[in-house]
Amino acid sequence: MYIFDRHCQCIYYHDWHRGHTAKPTFDPHGDPLASHQSTGGGGSTTTTTTMTDPRQGMNMSLEEEGKLVYGVVFSLRNLVKKLGKTQDGFIAYKTSHYKLHYYETLTGLKFVINSDPNVESLQQALRQIYTQIYVELVVKNPLACATITSGQVNPETMGAEGFRNGVDRFVRSLTMFDTL
Amino acid sequence: MTKQYKTLGDDIWKNKVEKINAELFTLTYGSIVAQLVKDYEDFTEVNKQLEKMGYNIGTRLIEDFLARSGVGRCQDFRETAEMVSKVGFKMFLNITPAVTNISADGREFSLVLDENPLAECVELPDQALVDELWYSNILCGVLRGSLEMVQMQVDAFFVTDTLRGDDMTEIRVKLIRYLEEEVPAGED
Repeated sequence: MYIFDRHCQCIYYHDWHRGHTAKPTFDPHGDPLASHQSTGGGGSTTTTTTMTDPRQGMNMSLEEEGKLVYGVVFSLRNLVKKLGKTQDGFIAYKTSHYKLHYYETLTGLKFVINSDPNVESLQQALRQIYTQIYVELVVKNPLACATITSGQVNPETMGAEGFRNGVDRFVRSLTMFDTL
Repeated sequence: MTKQYKTLGDDIWKNKVEKINAELFTLTYGSIVAQLVKDYEDFTEVNKQLEKMGYNIGTRLIEDFLARSGVGRCQDFRETAEMVSKVGFKMFLNITPAVTNISADGREFSLVLDENPLAECVELPDQALVDELWYSNILCGVLRGSLEMVQMQVDAFFVTDTLRGDDMTEIRVKLIRYLEEEVPAGED
């Protein structure tokens, strides 16, 4: 799951079942599709843990991956906005390997989460993460906010433990957790 | 349409908002202003600091507002004015300022506050009256900060204030421009 702020930066990253199906067909030269393949393949396999980091075989740092995801989401959103008139047209997209859910606030904060393709819409879940966890623990926390506005946030450690734990607990409690 | 905002505001105030003691709030704010006056001794500087504090508060407050109210984007500036006065102010201060003096092109409006919880039982010293201290200037900052986070650059300032002996407390809000969304830096 990624959170992007209004300045197009990835401010938060969290994964759960990434890298379950370490398919040998990965292209080790950083093929962008391969990275998505790993995030989505968590549905059907066994309990091999998430220890293997597929990114190692992929020459793509978290920063680049963040930019890539943001680019995809941004372009799709503009596309959907131009095709339809409503502001919030882009909710999710599905490929054969994964489904990407998207929720954006009016302030430009973007929440992205990848899951198994046959999961129903997680938009409500993303909205709840925003209202109940992000607003309570990050916006209202003077220390956490200071780092966001200064523009130098490490996505893996943002918000101290409170936010990370809160999100973790919430996501684990979703019924479709096994598919993330 | 304004009625639905009013009911929305009332509803949120009744159910979803934690309330605190109003006197505590007024006293805390009063002590902040008093301390600023003591530190800076120049009232224009105090105004500026209050506005800056308000701006920082506003940038975070809008997230809380959007999370609680769940409203979508406003269609035009008039709707924004209604939303701010009926839902926003109601949710955070439990007052509903009136929206008046909407300019012909719809880019300016005035908020008239008939009661100001920040300034209950407050009296300004004579020096403050001479030097133009806007006691509740933090509100202008909050308006500016929160509207900027939803892509509107506005200018908010006090026109009259009952603390200074005027008939009513009025804040003028001018829309300067709509801000464009940021595009990520191009990469090849």
